[in-house]
Amino acid sequence: MRTIDDFSRPKEYLTPLGENIGDIFRDWVDREVIPYRRQFDEDWKEHELILPPFKRLLGEYGIQRMLFPEDLGGWGLGHSDFLSVAAFRMFEEVARADSGMAVAFGVVFWPLLFIAAEPHVNRRLCEEFAPMFCETTEAVFSALAMTEPQGGADIENYEFLKGSTIQTTAVQDGDEWVINGHKLWPTNTGGVADLLAVVCTTDPGSRDKENIAVIFVPTDAAGVTQGESYEKAGMAADKNSDIWFENTRVPLWYRACGPGDDSLYFGEVMSLGGMGTIAFTVGVMMNIFERLQDFVNTRTYRDRPLKENDAVAGVLADFAATIEACRIVGYQCARMCDRPDLYGPRWSPEVVIKTRAHRYFVADRAIEAIGKVMNIMESYGADRDWDVEKHWRDVKMCQLWMGGKQLCQMEVARWFYECETL
Amino acid sequence: MNNLDLFPYQKNRLEDTDLQLASTLHDLVEREVMDKRLELKEDYEQLLKPSMRKIFVDIGLQKMFWPEKLGGEGHNGPEAAYTVVAALEQVARADTGLAFLAAHGMALQASMASRGETDGEACARFAPLFCEGEDAVVVSLVLPTYAEGEGLTKWRGKYLQVTAKKGAEGWTLEGQGVRPTCSGADADLFAVLCGVAGEDGPALILVPGDAAGLKRGDEFKKTGLAASRNADLDLVKVKVPAENCILSGDEAVRKLLSWYYLGLAAAGVGSLLASYEILKEWGDTRVIKGRGQVFKENPLTAALMAQIAQDTALDRLLVYDLAGMLADPGTFGGAGSEAVHTAATMIVQHVYTSAEMAIHHVMELMASAGYAKEWQLERYWRDVKTVQCYLGASEIAKFDVARWFYQCETL
Repeated sequence: MRTIDDFSRPKEYLTPLGENIGDIFRDWVDREVIPYRRQFDEDWKEHELILPPFKRLLGEYGIQRMLFPEDLGGWGLGHSDFLSVAAFRMFEEVARADSGMAVAFGVVFWPLLFIAAEPHVNRRLCEEFAPMFCETTEAVFSALAMTEPQGGADIENYEFLKGSTIQTTAVQDGDEWVINGHKLWPTNTGGVADLLAVVCTTDPGSRDKENIAVIFVPTDAAGVTQGESYEKAGMAADKNSDIWFENTRVPLWYRACGPGDDSLYFGEVMSLGGMGTIAFTVGVMMNIFERLQDFVNTRTYRDRPLKENDAVAGVLADFAATIEACRIVGYQCARMCDRPDLYGPRWSPEVVIKTRAHRYFVADRAIEAIGKVMNIMESYGADRDWDVEKHWRDVKMCQLWMGGKQLCQMEVARWFYECETL
Repeated sequence: MNNLDLFPYQKNRLEDTDLQLASTLHDLVEREVMDKRLELKEDYEQLLKPSMRKIFVDIGLQKMFWPEKLGGEGHNGPEAAYTVVAALEQVARADTGLAFLAAHGMALQASMASRGETDGEACARFAPLFCEGEDAVVVSLVLPTYAEGEGLTKWRGKYLQVTAKKGAEGWTLEGQGVRPTCSGADADLFAVLCGVAGEDGPALILVPGDAAGLKRGDEFKKTGLAASRNADLDLVKVKVPAENCILSGDEAVRKLLSWYYLGLAAAGVGSLLASYEILKEWGDTRVIKGRGQVFKENPLTAALMAQIAQDTALDRLLVYDLAGMLADPGTFGGAGSEAVHTAATMIVQHVYTSAEMAIHHVMELMASAGYAKEWQLERYWRDVKTVQCYLGASEIAKFDVARWFYQCETL
């Protein structure tokens, strides 16, 4: 029988490291996530069931150390030129089981990119935070606090707005930053994260990108308050809440990269966030393929397996074609992020925009294709026991985060058509 | 002008009583469902069940078609099709699942108690259940689906999940792992489309929820429709009287389905209207801060909002058109005719396909608020998709359409 591994991966992009890690992840999800994921969906508030498998993966396997330099106890993936491709494989495997877990997992590393990815490693901050991740077998989570009330996608829209609408302020007071503000929606909040990267302004209203500051804040710092976890349509493993900062003080050197560079490398975070979103979406579709195969092999219509009906087969073919094409797009996107010598740095406007284009293209295709799969499965498509409906709910959320589709469209139009007033 | 009246429909075809009913339901669901759901979410016992009782019993949707002499309202002429639509779009505006359940009951009523086609004996037997009690009566259907095993009778390519044998003391029904369309965990009455030993066509047999041999599985989780607590059923030598077979033959089944699809299509439109109201508030109040621009004034978002309104408006017109067909059997043929059944199939499939996409688009415009439960939109998104799944595969439904328009013989 055909398996998910019969869908193409561009083999020239793969590395033994990535493939070995991929195998480890597949084994982990098959043993520790897939058998329990239907219960995870009800565990959105407490995470009593969700945390133990994360402890195994992040803490005991040590995956949370991955980005940090080797001499600090990490695995040095931050200086690999296969970082994105390896990440794509990991994300895809986790999302195959549960894309909410995949995003929670991915966001562990997302803010750390500012300080642990070449060529802009902030050695002092790595030394400061590496022990938190590398010297424990407990799962440690990070979060990137961007969105603000009434701000919508303004922060992700940084090329256009240049941070001018950011309300969370960082004011220098001696050798400390004093942070005040209110953030919404970061993944791994609601009490999960130990470390936050907070997007602030050092000069409210300024359109000078030097005033965009990304500042690390341990969640146990005075003045940090996290709200209750939001109740959402899906993605139970991705916990989100409000966060308030009230005169929260951290050292000046907790700023990620410095004036100008924080906003520059914010582009990198956007590119890799887009790439990750594609990986989550492809991983989801891989598992839907597995569940669908089971369904159409065992259910009959007119005395033949459902898959043998020509009209149904047309829908099945469209779904397979969608996975095939989206996975290739995703790996290409990842490789583009890994090869600045060929495509430019991953924080460049060109790469940021292209990853946005890839991301919303894949999300649109996936949502349409998964909707048709659910429909082919009739009432079982909406049935939790068949898993497809969970993936359908989750993947819609992947489409909407980081500014959603319309922001992607505007950014893509601005770049490709050189629009001046959009 | 009421926001919902912005969407045109064949208002001139509705009786004053239909408009009054719609208005009453509008106010009722606003008060009893919409005002409470932020606190009660989709709680069945505290929100949905009490609301169901008010809609089904106090307003009287479950009595509508039954003859007056049996305690019903006797509103059972073909023009009741408009009433069904006017009522169910209002109910669905508050909760798609409640309208989904109401559509089941109304389709059964239309099948049993339509003026001039009433089966007096069956009505006398079952009308009291709907007209005399103080509780909402939940009707569930068992319709053909795919098969996992062998030996089941086919109807239009799918399999009748239950087989029935007629004996001297009535019917004996058998079926394993039967998937009803709704409320397997707590329906009061199952209308089961059965394969009948020795007969070509199916028969619709009513099985009371407390029938001996009817075993309900555990309620299973599903995407949406919290009002429908569904569970699979086993029917082990379930015996019911001969009179519980209320209809048989293709035409009668098509009639049931045409009315069922009308109700579901109206529920789809109601869900779209609710989504429109949520989007309207979002578009009026949200400001794209970088531009100081009200959300709805942005050309990109306005274009997508227009598309959503267009889909909603056209779906509403289509559903009222379908009501018009059912209301005028002299012109279009009866609800059981192939022509009307095909139209009903096309329209309900179209409504749910476009509603799915339209609500997807609303979610895109609202970004994370679209999937946060606080904003209520996501429940319509889940509910509409769930109804679409329960309607059956659109690819298979297209075979009915192809058979009618192209006279296909082997599909």
